[in-house]
Amino acid sequence: MLPRMQAQMFDAFQVIADPSRRQMMMMLSKDSMTINALAKNFDMSRPAVSKHIKIMYNAGFISITDIGRERYCTLKQEGFNELQDFIDYFDKFWTTKLKKLQTLLDNKSKQ
Amino acid sequence: MEKQVKQTWHFNQSPKVVWEYLTNPELMGQWLMQCNFEPVVGHKFQFINNDKIDAYCQVLEIIPHKLLSYSWKKGKNENEIRLDSVVTWILEDKGGKTELLLQHGDFELLKDFDDHNNGWNYLLSHLVERLNASSDAGANV
Repeated sequence: MLPRMQAQMFDAFQVIADPSRRQMMMMLSKDSMTINALAKNFDMSRPAVSKHIKIMYNAGFISITDIGRERYCTLKQEGFNELQDFIDYFDKFWTTKLKKLQTLLDNKSKQ
Repeated sequence: MEKQVKQTWHFNQSPKVVWEYLTNPELMGQWLMQCNFEPVVGHKFQFINNDKIDAYCQVLEIIPHKLLSYSWKKGKNENEIRLDSVVTWILEDKGGKTELLLQHGDFELLKDFDDHNNGWNYLLSHLVERLNASSDAGANV
């Protein structure tokens, strides 16, 4: 679970950084939408919309369900809940870095 | 109430040596990240990870060999910072060895730049509250 959380953390920042994705998630916070319906609200190509959706999906922000011929996007509450682990993320980040520092200093002393 | 990352580390080296690794960009790059740090209060610098800026920082306080603190901000660019925080290093001489205390706290998610996205702001501020609440448990250990 931990490595996943670490990857998720970086993704979460990147996901949030993009205004189009923020807008998509705002729309999805009201109701599930098909990719086509979502795409109509944006002045960008369908592949570009799909790319944004894939990024949000990979980061755990949305889920995708196939109903008939349509793909429905739904905002996942868990995607946001995982964000609350970011202090844990920094805790782990610093542990990794400081272990590296300790090793570095100890190896230096031996020389 | 504690709302931060807190770690204590012990090094066999003196505070002077450890200080070098906390403040010399070349040495910092060996264990932390590439950066353009300078030990000057008010100096703005960035940490670089995989050719991308990972954190926007500014030196807040320096007491040579004893204390160093800098802001640690994350965002799309310097004008669109979303996460603000402060990293503090405190070094204590323990008979020629070093006790290093790291504090990473004052977490704050900043206002969204898209004013129409008020709902999103609400979501994010709600998140920060929960984040801060969840950090309390760990910090009391």
